[in-house]
Formats: sequence, C-alpha cells, structure tokens
Amino acid sequence: MIASDSHEVSQLNELKIDLDAISVIAHYHANSDILMDEQMPIYGGYAGGLEETAIVDVATSINAFVMSGASWHLDGPIHIRWGSTNTRETLAIAGWASAAVTNNTDFLMGNQYYPCAGPCTEMCFLELAAQAITDSASGREILSGVASAKGVALNKTTGMEARMMGEVARAAAGVDITEVNKILDKLVGSYEKSYGSAPSGKTFQECYDVKTITPTDEHVSVYEQAKKKLEGFGLVFK
Amino acid sequence: MAYKKSIDAYEFYNRAKVGEKCTQDDWDLMHIPMKAMEIKQRYGLNFKGEFIPTDADMADKLFKAGFDMLLESGIFVTDTQRIVKYTADEIWDSIRNPMPEFQLGTGRDAVTVKKRQVGDKRGPIIQGGPTGAPVSEDVFCALHTSYALEKEVDTIVNGVMATIRGLPPAPGTPAEILAAKTEGRTIKLATAIAGRPGMAI
Repeated sequence: MIASDSHEVSQLNELKIDLDAISVIAHYHANSDILMDEQMPIYGGYAGGLEETAIVDVATSINAFVMSGASWHLDGPIHIRWGSTNTRETLAIAGWASAAVTNNTDFLMGNQYYPCAGPCTEMCFLELAAQAITDSASGREILSGVASAKGVALNKTTGMEARMMGEVARAAAGVDITEVNKILDKLVGSYEKSYGSAPSGKTFQECYDVKTITPTDEHVSVYEQAKKKLEGFGLVFK
Repeated sequence: MAYKKSIDAYEFYNRAKVGEKCTQDDWDLMHIPMKAMEIKQRYGLNFKGEFIPTDADMADKLFKAGFDMLLESGIFVTDTQRIVKYTADEIWDSIRNPMPEFQLGTGRDAVTVKKRQVGDKRGPIIQGGPTGAPVSEDVFCALHTSYALEKEVDTIVNGVMATIRGLPPAPGTPAEILAAKTEGRTIKLATAIAGRPGMAI
C-alpha cells in the first residue's frame, strides 16, 4: 500500500479503543498515510434506541478526528437483530448523523453496506439502493460496499452491487430531502418484512463468467428489474 | 482554558495510563446507555420517522448531543480499563482543523475527496468491494477485478481471504500476516488487470 491508499483503524463499540490501535494510528501518521477511522454503532446494542445510537454515532464520528486524526470516518450503523445496515432504523441513524455532522463540521464521512440478501437478487439491489439514497442525500462523501448477504457468506459479493450503489447515489444527489424521505419510506417498506427470509443469492462464480469477468445475462436482468422498481418508487436515474 | 497542545496518539496514550478507572461492564452496560438516554432527554431529540432531517435545528441538536456525549464520557481504553477525557477546546481544535480534502490513488486513476452538503448535486465517491466479506483464494483476484472494471467505482475496499495457501488466516498467526499482505498485492494486481493501476485501495 502507498500513502494515498486508505489505511484503516477501527474504534470499538461503543466509544472504546485498545492501545494496539493507538500505535497503529502513530504508524500511519509517521508515514503521512491517508487514515480511515472505522466504526459501526449498533442499533439495539449498548446505546439502546434510535436517537441514543445516533448520539453515539455522532460522538464516534467526532472522535475519529480527535483521537485518530483521521482523513475520513467510515460509519456503518448496524441492526443488532438483522446484522444489516439497510433497515429503517439504521438508515435513519446514518441519515441523521450524517446531516448533523455535515451541517456543523468539514469532516469527510463515509458509510459501509451490509444488506441481508445476496447477489443476483432484487432484494439485495433494493436494500443497497435505500442506503445509497440515504448516504448521497445526507451529504456523505464516500460510499463503501457492498458486503452482500451481510458480508458473511463466501464469495457472495460482486461488482454489480457497486455499480448500483454508484448509479443510485448519482440519481439521489440534489433531490429535495422531503421527496427523498418519501421515496425511502416506500422503498424500505417494500423489503423490510423479508429480513428473516432474505434470499441468500448466488456466488460470484454463479453471477459472472470468471474467465472474462462478465456478469451473466441473469445478473444483468435482475439489475434492470431492480432499477425499474426504483423508478416506480420515484427515483429518476441520470 | 486553552489547551496545551493538540491531541495526538502520544497524548492519548499518556492519558490512557492515568485516566479514571472503570470496568468494561460498567462502561458498556451502565455508562453508555444511561448517558445516551440523559443527553437525548436534554435536547428533546425525536426523529419523527424521517430518514434524513428536514428540521435543521433538530439536526444541530443531535450534533450538540454527540459533542456532549464525547465530552462528558470520553473514550474507554480496554487495555488499561481507564477513561481518556478531552476538554471542549481540544475537541473544537479537531473540528476546526480537519483535512479539507485529499486524494485517493495516483495518476489518471486518482480521485479527490471533497466536502459535500446535505442535498448536494455532486455525487459521492464510490468505493467498491466486498467490504470485509470472505473470498476464496481461487477467485480473489477476479472478484476484485469485477469492481475495478466498473466505471462507477472510484476506489476499492477489499474482501478478506478465506484461506492463504490453504491455511486459515487466524489472528496472531503467520498466516494472518501472509493473507493481509497477499490481499493488498492481489487487489493492486486486480486494478492493474482492469487497466486502472493507480486506483486506491
């Protein structure tokens, strides 16, 4: 890695750190490395409810720049029951925390993606789209993902999810926030009853011709279906 | 009172050795939930079902609440079981002096990360990749290349190798180090195969 790559250090849940991380921070600063401070506040965890977790999220974000001297903070509010960043509650924590920090500082902020569903499923694309809309509209600078199938299944991540993240983020940029909230309400409502039965999706090898690194016709078709559904919820692709 | 010097890793370490003692259970199970609840009530925070605030005053209250949470709580250090506290001026010193923008990557593949606003018309940077999800050795390069080939993607965030030379990269073992080094080198190769060798990871 070189200095202009993102060098990661992670805080611990919630408002905790270990001294190994402090030594890592010293190492990054000594190299003049770009430093990415990461932490994922847990909704339903130590902090408790919605607003309480958002308070801890903002505190953690500020601490990234106090303790770590971070170049940017990688957020990721996550649901304790579903292990997902794409639930109604975790999206609200991310959206509110981003707006609060964006309106009051010049901090550069990112968010990371853990949908319940796996690749080559409409639900996966819709889940990640909800977060891309939230992150783009609430002023975040970097969208980082996507760890499909909650980021725990072997080889269940592909480049097509990142393509959707980019297309949706651009579509949501500049849209009135009241309209964004309406789109999100409909979009999240379309999948939030399915967390317990989310499709696990397909592996990279099943979604792509591995030799030419080209998505299968099926993967492209599911992508197109998801885009049409997003347009139905009011998102206008640019 | 003016701070003596800006907070850095060395000052944090010094405070981690002498700060107030606390058990981790007290911190996790008592201090964090009670302080968060107290501060929520102090500012009357209520998100009213919105994903993104339309009420800028309420968003500002959330910022003040987060500031108070950090100021009044500090950071718990697990090794020493002590709390590192900052003063308000020290926190403001960091708020007033972040990196205003920076570059990720090199050459024609470099991107500049710049401040955005709520409702900004300019889109964000897209960092594509498995984000820590497990990837097998045999498709590690190809899978990451699938992100680097996407024009929507600006930088790469890596997955983790499920094995390295067939060994599990368990924490604290030589295989962990080999896996971490190989991940970095293989992802750089993946960006080069995609024709974007200067992409940041």
